[in-house]
Amino acid sequence: MAESILNLAVVLIMIAIALGVYRLVKGPSVVDRAIALDLLTLVSIALIALIALLTSRFIYIDVALVYGLLSFLSVLAVARYLDRGL
Amino acid sequence: MTMMTLLTLVLCIGILVSALLATYLKSVVAAVVSAGLVGLFASVTYVILSAPDVAMTEAAIGAGITTVVFLFALSKTRGAYDE
Repeated sequence: MAESILNLAVVLIMIAIALGVYRLVKGPSVVDRAIALDLLTLVSIALIALIALLTSRFIYIDVALVYGLLSFLSVLAVARYLDRGL
Repeated sequence: MTMMTLLTLVLCIGILVSALLATYLKSVVAAVVSAGLVGLFASVTYVILSAPDVAMTEAAIGAGITTVVFLFALSKTRGAYDE
């Protein structure tokens, strides 16, 4: 039961990745692509935590932790650059 | 384990699409964003390939610092490239 729920979550995350990549390809402006970067970062953090749960190796949680601490930096840099230059 | 194979396939398609976008996009900032996404997808792929230390380094350097350094250099040379 829990295994099937985790597999369903992996399928949903794959759909979310496909939608984010679609917005990255299609998005007319730079802001759309920055939002797609933010979305895909969040989805990737959830995916790493899910892989740690599926493979029962909880050292992978540390990767998600480091990623969550550092990933806002690039989105922040893009936003600051679009505002007035870094 | 077939779910992990499918997930790896989706992530590799994401890497390929992001790399092609980073090559073909006209806007420089959008190309930098796409190049950051290559590092992001590669980091998740390293986790699936059971190399968490490589994934942690890739997440810190490839996706975090590289985008900031590129945008900083672009901001220093503002006006040299049309955006």
